[in-house]
Amino acid sequence: MELKQAADFLDGILREQKIEKYGFFLNQSEKQELNIENGEFKLLRTVFNNNTSVNVFLGTKTGSAGGNAMTEEGLRKVVEEAKAAAESASEDPCHDIAPGQGKELYRRGIYEPDMEKFIERIREFLDTVAKEYPEVRIMASIGSFDRWHWLSRNTNGTEFEGIGGQYHFSIEICASDGERTTGLDYTGIAMKTLDQPLIELGDIRRHLEDIRRSIHPETLEGKFEGTLILTPGCAANFIFMTLSNYICDGVIINGTSQWLDKVGEQVAHEKLTITLDPYDERIVSGECGTASGFRSEKVTLIEKGVLKTHWLSLYGANKTGRPVVKNTGSDLVVTPGDKTLEELIASVDKGLIIGYYSGGQPGTNGEFSGVAKNSFLIENGKIKGAVTETMVNGNLGEAFRKIRGISREVLCDGGSVVPYIAVDGIVISGK
Amino acid sequence: MLQDIIGSQTGLFADGVQTVLRGHENRSRRVVLLKGNLVQNSRSDSAGINARVNNHGTFGFASIAEYTPEAAEKVIRAATENAIALGKHSGRNLPLPVSAGTGTVPLNAKIVDAEQKELIEMCKTVDGYIEKKYPDLTSRTVVYYEDSQDRIVYTSDAYNGHLVTPRCYVFVMMSAETKDGVPVELFKAFGGFGSFYDHFSDPEKLYPGIDELYKKLMDKKEGVYAEAGYKTVVLGSMMGGMLAHEAVGHTVEADLVRGGSVAGPNLNKRVASDLVTMVDFAHTYNGTPAALPVFLDDEGTRAEDVVLIRDGILTGYMNDRESAAEYGMTPAGNARGWTFADEPIIRMRNTCILPGKNTVEELIASVDDGYYLIDSGNGQADLTGEFMFGVTCGYEIKNGKLGKALLDTTVTGIAFEMLKTVDMVSDKVEWSSSGFCGKKQPMAVGMGGPHMRCKITIGGR
Repeated sequence: MELKQAADFLDGILREQKIEKYGFFLNQSEKQELNIENGEFKLLRTVFNNNTSVNVFLGTKTGSAGGNAMTEEGLRKVVEEAKAAAESASEDPCHDIAPGQGKELYRRGIYEPDMEKFIERIREFLDTVAKEYPEVRIMASIGSFDRWHWLSRNTNGTEFEGIGGQYHFSIEICASDGERTTGLDYTGIAMKTLDQPLIELGDIRRHLEDIRRSIHPETLEGKFEGTLILTPGCAANFIFMTLSNYICDGVIINGTSQWLDKVGEQVAHEKLTITLDPYDERIVSGECGTASGFRSEKVTLIEKGVLKTHWLSLYGANKTGRPVVKNTGSDLVVTPGDKTLEELIASVDKGLIIGYYSGGQPGTNGEFSGVAKNSFLIENGKIKGAVTETMVNGNLGEAFRKIRGISREVLCDGGSVVPYIAVDGIVISGK
Repeated sequence: MLQDIIGSQTGLFADGVQTVLRGHENRSRRVVLLKGNLVQNSRSDSAGINARVNNHGTFGFASIAEYTPEAAEKVIRAATENAIALGKHSGRNLPLPVSAGTGTVPLNAKIVDAEQKELIEMCKTVDGYIEKKYPDLTSRTVVYYEDSQDRIVYTSDAYNGHLVTPRCYVFVMMSAETKDGVPVELFKAFGGFGSFYDHFSDPEKLYPGIDELYKKLMDKKEGVYAEAGYKTVVLGSMMGGMLAHEAVGHTVEADLVRGGSVAGPNLNKRVASDLVTMVDFAHTYNGTPAALPVFLDDEGTRAEDVVLIRDGILTGYMNDRESAAEYGMTPAGNARGWTFADEPIIRMRNTCILPGKNTVEELIASVDDGYYLIDSGNGQADLTGEFMFGVTCGYEIKNGKLGKALLDTTVTGIAFEMLKTVDMVSDKVEWSSSGFCGKKQPMAVGMGGPHMRCKITIGGR
């Protein structure tokens, strides 16, 4: 069934069921994916998929159901299941959908891929790596083009439609000198065009350089308190762990957040400004609308270290009496600093530059403890060798209060824009 | 459950290649009560069909979100075309793996669905018990989570069959505050393979486990940070299972061996103390069903156990058909995909270190100054076997007795070095199956282990 035909059909059966309040989301997608294993083209994968999701309100009760069958029978089943779920729910007036936002068509990225050119670019990448980085092994690499057409509609009169597509390229690499092999490293990038060689995009070259220099890592002895320079990917991870721990629905509704009453107050160093910006040109396919039906907006969560708002959904906002944030995406934009990465490194007496943090989501107290992967020791302002079996411990909230500096350089990987961030007061320990 | 409407399409399989046709349905059910508020109430069913074609080492895959004979025809043709098209860009030209036998593997179980109302009522009952009995908690969350996979597989030169993997869990999370106002949390998973009615018809059966969780949380309220360093520890069964899966299991997946994992140069060499034997069980452990039984994989290989480490010696890898041919091993049913849209890749099934002869009490009593590490919230490892596990529940051990509880910490090490320090192994194995393994696609896996005494690096402040 075509998308709009399916949407109209859904409207019809929901009205037939006398459901006066609902929202739904329909998506038709296609993926063309090239899989490379150990430098060889191995698998070509084509996926045609659908997604259907219906949220039904019966008074103040709500339930949702989903699936992928965009047929009359499949859509009827989803409506019946959503209605049954709503009938079983508890009364809760905080569940709601956004006020009417009108109609809007969003176009993102590109719609028609050039797969032959993409294969050429991947071949070029493999050849360049083989020539310039002979120690590096491309264990796995995936080049994909994803195309989508989605439509969301609700009974407050909102109808958003999205059409778009993007290329995505990722690598999983290690390095070996014939005797020793490094651990894995990963990176990836989303893009609209194939104008540039893939190796020059995002921070792919840095990952190749770093893994090459990691074949003979050293074990640190003892422990010290020092500086951690978070590479952009790692910084994004730390930022999302922090947002999840301190300002998301769960911890605000629970009342367990340590930033529960900190809106308007300084919670981080004044160098830190964190924005979600789906309209930033460097982001390929930013969020268009939220699950509850708001048009997505640019939102600054932390400005010069001051917490501007909690990051609440409509439900979380209604439940806690706080403002809703009209952005649920991951379009992270961190304002760059005034120092170069080189200057940041030069300012560090002792610490690490960390490529990847291997650790779980900290508890709500913010304490983190994990392994520094793909990381290098910094001593007296200079990068030394790669380290292994090295742990980093600290507290998320404290770490962002003790920012030493933020780099001018930013990583734009098509999904976020993030600089290097150096934080002090981290316990770094070896064996 | 899926009906067999695709078997008639096998006549479309092309000659001279290996083809697998798979109908696949995933279902999920989810209810979340956060402090008594129903914040999630959803269910979904997704089905489709895929084909994968091996054209002498170049693979084509295609899938469609429909489960019909017409969709089967389309994906067979598209996957065959993809394999041929990619062959023009690929230098691969490998002999097709030989057939390991043909036949039919019968349906192993049934998927039994419960109404959403029953799921919500059960969660409310459990939540009500916690709210009434433990009013001093700062927060509580009760989650019902269920997923199931239902697959029908037809192959050109291997086994056909029908396999279902239903599993369901209740996760209980509790939060409290230390005297300094710092939040501490613990969680526990109940449930396993099977349906809602197999595990949760009587919510009262969960109460002893909830009581035990609360007691541990109260201990953790008074907890201390571990002292960072290289320590003697008793790893609990859940930690042992995590170690088996993350730190060893992934390094002996043949695709990662091919990529340069530490297991490559260590085949037939000592990688652990002779107390360590580790097996990836297919469907049966010790005469009873394994945590998540697998009888057939998505290449049509009938599932068998794989002994990975025997008495400390690395003896084997987990393979798909192609890697088994490359390494001269026998494929044992490890190639699996998560949804209809996913190609099969090498995955673990039920990975476990086998039990030893000591009791848990003997292990703890043998440690003068160390830690008892019970539960892990997460874990990761890489090709070198360097691992990281988050420890959410643990205790000090002083002079052979348990001391104060630990606040959250992390342990790390190199698996094949750490396993050589194992010098006592307990006589009982515990299993878990509620997690997901992530490797391009998610996958439901079982993991288990005994308690082990060993040396490990622990983080602290």
